Formats: sequence, C-alpha cells, structure tokens
Amino acid sequence: MKKMAQGALVAVMIIGMMFCLVSCGDEKKDTAAKKPSKLQEVLNRGRLIVGTGSTNVPWHMKNDKGEYEGFDIEMGRILAQALFGDPSKVEFVEQSGDQRIPNLLADKVDVCFQFMTITPLRAQLIAFTVPYYTEGIGLILATNGKYKSYDDLIAARDGGASLTVAILQNADAATNVQNLLKGAKDDQYENQGLVYQAVTSGRADAGAVDLSSIKWLANSQPDLYRDSGFGLIPQNYGAGVKPDEQEWLNFINTVLVDCMTGSTYELYNQAYIKWFGEDETITMPPYGKPRIYR
Amino acid sequence: MRYHWNFGTVFSQMDALLEGLVVGLVLAVVSLLIGMLIGLVLAFMSTSKSKALRIVAKWYVTVLRNTPLLVLIYIVYFGLPDIKISLGKEESFVFALAIYAGAYMTEVFRAGLEAIPKGLIEAGQAIGLKRLQIRLYIQLPIMFRNVLPSLGNYLISLFKDSSLASAITIAELTYIARKISTITFRVFEVWIVTAIMYVIACYLIAFILRRLERRFALP
Repeated sequence: MKKMAQGALVAVMIIGMMFCLVSCGDEKKDTAAKKPSKLQEVLNRGRLIVGTGSTNVPWHMKNDKGEYEGFDIEMGRILAQALFGDPSKVEFVEQSGDQRIPNLLADKVDVCFQFMTITPLRAQLIAFTVPYYTEGIGLILATNGKYKSYDDLIAARDGGASLTVAILQNADAATNVQNLLKGAKDDQYENQGLVYQAVTSGRADAGAVDLSSIKWLANSQPDLYRDSGFGLIPQNYGAGVKPDEQEWLNFINTVLVDCMTGSTYELYNQAYIKWFGEDETITMPPYGKPRIYR
Repeated sequence: MRYHWNFGTVFSQMDALLEGLVVGLVLAVVSLLIGMLIGLVLAFMSTSKSKALRIVAKWYVTVLRNTPLLVLIYIVYFGLPDIKISLGKEESFVFALAIYAGAYMTEVFRAGLEAIPKGLIEAGQAIGLKRLQIRLYIQLPIMFRNVLPSLGNYLISLFKDSSLASAITIAELTYIARKISTITFRVFEVWIVTAIMYVIACYLIAFILRRLERRFALP
C-alpha cells in the first residue's frame, strides 16, 4: 500500500508540473508590457496564420493536390489580401473543432475561420467578428438508405422505429438532434467525415449537418447522398480571435463588412458563387444607404 | 491574458467521467482476455513444428500488429456492414481491440515459450507425460511466469488504447471528456482531470500485476 501511495504521489507531482508549465507560460506573456499589437505582429511576420479544418465541405477541405479550399479558406485569403495585398500570404493550420478556442488562446493561430457558430457562451472566452454567413442545420440521408425523406423518418419514428442521427460532437449536438427529430438517439462523432461515413455505412439513419454541406453533397455526389428536405436552427458563423486584441478584431471586422457590402464585394461574391452555387448569386451592393442598415 | 482555471465545471461532471472510466475498463478487460486467448493459440502455432501453422501465425502478427488500431476499428465498424456483418458499437470495438491485442500477445507468449529450457520439456517426456500434459503442466506455468513483466507493459498500453473507442461514439472516458470540453470549453481542466484518471487506473493495473509477479516469482 505504501508503494502505491508513493506512486500516486509521483503521478500527482508530474501532473502538477504540467499545470505549472501552462500557468507560468501565461504569466510571462502578462509581464511583457510592450508587446506589439496583434495586427502589427501579423504585418511584421508577413504572413497570416489561420486556424481551420479539412473535413467539412464546402467550408474547409483539401483538394487532390493537398491544398486547402472552401468558403472558410476564401475568407482567410480575403483577409490576407487586405493585409498584404496578396491572397497567398496565408498559412492554414489544421485543427479539430474542440481546438478552435484553445489554439486562439494559446496564440497558435491569429484568427479562426472554421464555420464557428457565434454563441454567448463562446463569446465569454474569445471574441467574434461580425458574421460572414448564416447557416442552418438539416438532415442528410444516404441515397440507397432505408429512408428517402424527412417524412419517411417521421413516419418510421411514429411507427416505433428507433432512429439514430449522427452529428459532429459539439455543445448543442444533443439539443439540435432533438430539435430536428424528436426522440432520435444522437451519435456524436469527433469529425464531420465520420458523420458522413456513419450515414453511408448505415450506422446512422441520418446525419445532422449544415444545410450548405447537404446542398453541396447532394449536388456533387447524388449516388451517395440525398437531402431530406428539412432544416432549421439558423446560426451565424463568425471568425474567432483572441480576446483583448481590439485593434485586430476591428481590422478583421472592417475587412469582412467591406467584402460583404463595400468596394471588395466581388471577392466575397466570387467565393460565394464558387462554393454555394450560381443560383444564389449575390448582387452588387446597392448605392445609397448601406445594405446592412436597410 | 491570463488563463482562469475553473475545475468546478469539471468536478460537477465527475459521475459521467467515472462512468466512462468503468466503460473503458470493462471494454479493455474483455478485449484483452480474448486477445490473450488468441495470443496463446497463435504462440503455440508459431512455435509448432508445422510450417503452415508457423506461417499463418507469422502473417497474422505481421498484418495486425502493423495496422493502426484506429484503422482496424473503422474497418470493423464502418466496413463490415458492407458485407452484411453488422456488430454493435461495443462488439465492434472489442473485436478490433481483441484481434489487435492478440498480435502483440502472440509475440509476448512466443518469447516466453522459447525461453523455456529444452531440458524441462525433455524431463516431462522422460516421465511419460503426453504432449498436452507437457503444455499444460510444464510450458504454460513457466511461460506465464516468464512473460508477466512484459505482459504488464502491453496490458497498460492496450488499456490506454480503449480511448480510441470514442471514435465510434462509445461513451468511455475520452468520449465523455471531449464532450464535456466541447460543452464547457474548459479544455485544459477536463483533460488534466482525465489524464489523472488514466494515470490512476494504469497505476492500479500495474500494481495488481506487480503483486502477481511477486507472488509467482521463484523463491
């Protein structure tokens, strides 16, 4: 027993040391009084570091050449264009959904463009820019699966079938599944790729994913995926930045607002058309009172 | 900016974490027991006189030991339904970890068997023991004593592999921890507490095995 207690003590000490390392690291940053602002730091570096993912169409993914592409990626390039006049001066750092906040807080990335839903709870930990897209959640089905539409799912559920909905693990996952299909079981996967895998392999009866992704997949791979035709829960996507970096936040907000309503609107429009389709072409901002106030 | 620690949110979910730890332990124990059985059979195959048996054992070990466990889990869980074999989540994971552990155990047991002095087996033959009797009464006990230290090593390592069950949404410790961290955003706190839980669990396993080792050690 004595040996055991000794061992446990050593384990606690090791963990304690890890703990100190994290805290002390923070302390040092605190005392550096004359730290340049984030904006200056990025400009001096000559390259923007964007945290993003690679498994979510059409937001952020890798093409056959291993390059990042998608709507979030375009947003990163628009910001790089604004900073350096060159959309290629950006480095994308791959991170999973649950690394988005820690990586910002630990200064691993300058900004996070990773279809991040603006929620009050998150806004207590990091700062959000203005939204650059409003998303909804819907249910995606396998083309050769048991159910062909949302009505099929409802009928099956009311008939007593036990349904499973695959969803990306996140704060509102369980609630969202209940809102979409009351009574269904939620299987929460750690990345979006696995959610689709669960749907196509029949492990889940449906997948709860973004409407934009459903549209993209049902159009580009109709042999695999089908749109259930049902969606709800509007949510705003914003870029995340570390709190206490007001100048940096202002700069990104300025760039985002301008590319959605001002002189650089073409950049946003081209990205939008490329990843969300021609049919939703956004027009040129009207003259007069700015569009966002109309 | 200074990080504000807040362990309260994590401690309030301690029940869920402990439940996850138990799920992980149960999964690991069941898979490892099956894995040890597989290992035992294959170890005897790989030390047998028949070349065919040796080749089968060798290929099993080569293929499974060199495949990442996560890939095995995905193949069993997502791939097998394609050929109409649909195991549940837990069964899929136990199956994957068991065949994976089996490959490691084969090598551990084989080493244990090969370390048995020939003279002991010959002594058994001399007093008229049959082949099965030699295996049961001479080879097995000596082998187990030989391999206990390295067995402990692998058991701990394979227990930690139970964290991969979270990939197919089994609610074990890692899955619960990730869930709490995505809900509360207390990432450091959750993983520190989880790490301590893993350390304690692994330490207990090591402790039990060391006890066994001492008990069976030669005087």
